[in-house]
Amino acid sequence: MAEGVDFEDIVARYYAPLYQFAFSLTRAEPDACDLTQQTFCIWAAKGHQLRDASKVKTWLFTTLHREFLGARRKQNRFPHVDLENAEAELPAVSPATVNHLDAAQVFAALGQLDEIYQAPVALFYLQDFSYNEIAETLVIPLGTVKSRLTRGLARLHNALTEIQPQQPKP
Amino acid sequence: MNRDEAKIILQLYRPNTADAEDPQIAEALALAKNDPELARWLEEHCARQNTLREKFRKINAPAGLKEQIISEQAAFSKTKARREKYVAVAAVTAIVVSLAFLSQFWMPSGSGDDSTFSIYQGRMAGVALRGYSMDLTTNDPAQIRAYLAQQHAPSDYVLPAPLQKTAMIGCAVEGWQNAKVSMICFHTGKPLPLGQQADLWLFVVDRDSVKNVPALNSPQFAKVNQLITAAWSLGGRLYFLGTSGDESAIKKFL
Repeated sequence: MAEGVDFEDIVARYYAPLYQFAFSLTRAEPDACDLTQQTFCIWAAKGHQLRDASKVKTWLFTTLHREFLGARRKQNRFPHVDLENAEAELPAVSPATVNHLDAAQVFAALGQLDEIYQAPVALFYLQDFSYNEIAETLVIPLGTVKSRLTRGLARLHNALTEIQPQQPKP
Repeated sequence: MNRDEAKIILQLYRPNTADAEDPQIAEALALAKNDPELARWLEEHCARQNTLREKFRKINAPAGLKEQIISEQAAFSKTKARREKYVAVAAVTAIVVSLAFLSQFWMPSGSGDDSTFSIYQGRMAGVALRGYSMDLTTNDPAQIRAYLAQQHAPSDYVLPAPLQKTAMIGCAVEGWQNAKVSMICFHTGKPLPLGQQADLWLFVVDRDSVKNVPALNSPQFAKVNQLITAAWSLGGRLYFLGTSGDESAIKKFL
């Protein structure tokens, strides 16, 4: 394990953001829990190979994403689609519309996106990762991150406009 | 950079983050300061980004997840440590047993070493029981003797009369220390399991190549592994005969 890094400290620091990322990918609590737990199991087994303690966060998110993709491939549900040089698609959703949505609806909208967009968009909103960190975490080039984010955010916003906002309870 | 290009770049801008340090975004932000329409668009964009970020972060990990991860890892580590301990103990045991076994070959045969003959017996019984391949398959005793002579293995053996009348089926040359052992295979006539060709085996080796051999002026019977065996010495050769059954089963070949 990276020098001076304690397993319980790592869990305490990262389990919540990792769970959020896992949930954004799976949109199911049990799957997100399993994915988070599996990530820490791998950390316990292989974390010692990481020499740079400052890379722990990226290592964990990369591992979680890789595990998610691995599970998807086993289910044969992972569409192999790649998209570079995304053209601009300006979002149409208004801040007021977003404000009336609850978190579950936002995640439902995220789930409507092609899978290649989901992880970058989730990391973009959840963790304030820099674009470079997103590229490092997802193991894709920086340009690809930006193009996927551009198109992914536009599609997310479009999906949000199609969701009926929850009516306030009387 | 014009307004539309700036909008495209600013789509990826998150307020209150390090995104503003990106040169392209910094340029677009600077443009917004002097462009009222772009500034209004940026204000709306920032509001939307902040709201969405807030929604994304509303998902909380279930209560107890952290404790579950830590406790399961602790349990796994304990099991792993126990398993490693067992493996270590098993490895040490295996090494000790191996060394004990090998030391019988490597240790100088001093006055206290009286096991060499028994090791030879065990080794040859093992060859018969655990599989071998015949170098020559024939029922011609002369061919067998000639083959063994050609291989510089003992070929001047003298067979007891009953054994001379037993059907030979072939032979092989085995090794013992630096000596060659003639292995002659017989079939007593009993039904054999599928794939088995012989059920009686004679091993002949130079007597001097085996340490601590008793007098053996007459056959000495012993159960070795699953075989009943007879060992005797004649003309500088050590004979070792084995078959399945009891002592009476082998005596009829002597």
